[in-house]
Amino acid sequence: MSGDEGIEIYEEGEEIMDVSNEAEAKTEFEKGKGDENVLQFLDSLDEYLTLMDSVNSKLREGWFDLASARHSMGTLRINSTLLDLKYHPAASTLQVTEQEVPRFALSKWASKGGSGKEKHFSTDADSEMGSPRSPQLRHRGVFEEKSSAKDETVLAADEEIKKERAKSLSVFGGLVSPKLRGAQLSFETALETLVEIANMRSSMLSAFEGITKK
Amino acid sequence: MYGFEALTFNIHGGYLEAIVRGHRAGLLTTADYNNLCQCENLDDIKMHLSATKYGSYLQNEPSPLHTTTIVEKCTLKLVDDYKHMLCQATEPMSTFLEYIRYGHMIDNVVLIVTGTLHERDVQELIEKCHPLGMFDRYSNRPFASSRPHPVAASDRFSFSPLCFSHCFLFSSIATLAVAQNMRELYRLVLVDTPLAPYFSECLTSEDLDDMNIEIMRNTLYKAYLEDFYKFCQKLGGATAEIMSDLLAFEADRRAVNITINSIGTELTREDRKKLYSNFGLLYPYGHEELAICEDIDQVRGVMEKYPPYQAIFSKMSYGESQMLDKAFYEEEVRRLCLAFEQQFHYAVFFAYMRLREQEIRNLMWISECVAQNQKSRIHDSVVYMF
Repeated sequence: MSGDEGIEIYEEGEEIMDVSNEAEAKTEFEKGKGDENVLQFLDSLDEYLTLMDSVNSKLREGWFDLASARHSMGTLRINSTLLDLKYHPAASTLQVTEQEVPRFALSKWASKGGSGKEKHFSTDADSEMGSPRSPQLRHRGVFEEKSSAKDETVLAADEEIKKERAKSLSVFGGLVSPKLRGAQLSFETALETLVEIANMRSSMLSAFEGITKK
Repeated sequence: MYGFEALTFNIHGGYLEAIVRGHRAGLLTTADYNNLCQCENLDDIKMHLSATKYGSYLQNEPSPLHTTTIVEKCTLKLVDDYKHMLCQATEPMSTFLEYIRYGHMIDNVVLIVTGTLHERDVQELIEKCHPLGMFDRYSNRPFASSRPHPVAASDRFSFSPLCFSHCFLFSSIATLAVAQNMRELYRLVLVDTPLAPYFSECLTSEDLDDMNIEIMRNTLYKAYLEDFYKFCQKLGGATAEIMSDLLAFEADRRAVNITINSIGTELTREDRKKLYSNFGLLYPYGHEELAICEDIDQVRGVMEKYPPYQAIFSKMSYGESQMLDKAFYEEEVRRLCLAFEQQFHYAVFFAYMRLREQEIRNLMWISECVAQNQKSRIHDSVVYMF
């Protein structure tokens, strides 16, 4: 009897120990998760502040290049009255994916009804070419053929982008100063950075929510 | 006869030459620019300019100022000075002074046509036009000659925006908006204007799009420069000698700018070559080489064969074109200042107008740098004159 009781107590003890071990493991896990959230938040915050500095600097550069272009080409050739009021499709669009953490993707120089050779700018690292996870590296022969076809596609896409860039600048005339093109590139980079900032802010808010839920 | 202008020039031109030399003394000096470069904001610039000839034009402008306001008011001062000289001038000086305006007329026509293509309001576009480039339609005058014919000073347009001629002007410039191609543009509006003779090379039925408008602009300017050059040659004497040098430099600079701006565009080599003027140091062999250039280093290679331009390009590093504008402006200012070293010719009027335009460009640049808090970059583009 007492032996049975002892076994019961022992088993209960074991259960209690299992439960407490489980609770401890769970606490450790949650603590780890919490630390991970804190780290993610701090990383996102750091990246966010860096990106904010970058966008301020790029915008400053863009406005200065625009002033240089006005100085070079003349105020009659670069002013707001030349901007096109006709209906035309947007040169760049923004897609928002409604997931647990909203993500933003910029589609630059995509023309409506075009050949679809737009350049997608996304912050998703897995979509980048030459990723270590890409299976193409394993098939060398096929990869070389695909690589040359890919190069041609990339070149054709670059040509399209060049044409779209020139088209958007054509409101100021067919022959514009290199300074105006420089200003366009600065503003384009600033736009990309703004999308990165939006994504970083989204991650930051998500990490902050994870921390505060605790 | 060259060398004997001193005997007769002052009869008709003495007063105006004295006026223009007086105006030249009022151009901003290096000390003025140094003071302006120290300004913290646009109100400081206005305060410093109040002690100059621009003072009365800026004093009533409310704060906060904008850089475009400063440029507009300074341009009004220039226009008033020009108007005073034009009203006092007799032939052939009056025709010479009229020629100075045609470049601005071309810019205004292109502005209206481009803005209309983009569905902008015509009134809004007219307000942006350069006042020196406004023109009347001489509708009661048969267009008998192929060159702009001289008119009496009293018949000339008025710069005042409130007078009747402005209403007439409004209707003629508004008519530009209905033109679909260059042939209509010419037939409806420009046939009775001083720009009419320059349209012979660009009369096509092609629709006006951005590239065609750009080609039209450059073709008109090419025809204008060539016509001005021939007119100065006919005048002879010191005017012909000095203006030939100044206009040749202008033609060469335009050729370089057209080349650089057309790199990477859809403008073909043949079309590019057609936009170069048929005179100047680079004509014809330099133009042949410039027409096939594909990057800035090739342009440099062409220009360094010509000693006057070798000095300009030597100031820039390879692959760089940022400082090219400043280098060209500095060379232009040097040549314009030299025009004042000789008397009894009309080139001083051209030089003065160009120097004032450079001064306004300097003020615009300084204002932009101050407004954008980029004072360290002011000296990238300011060109000092004296």
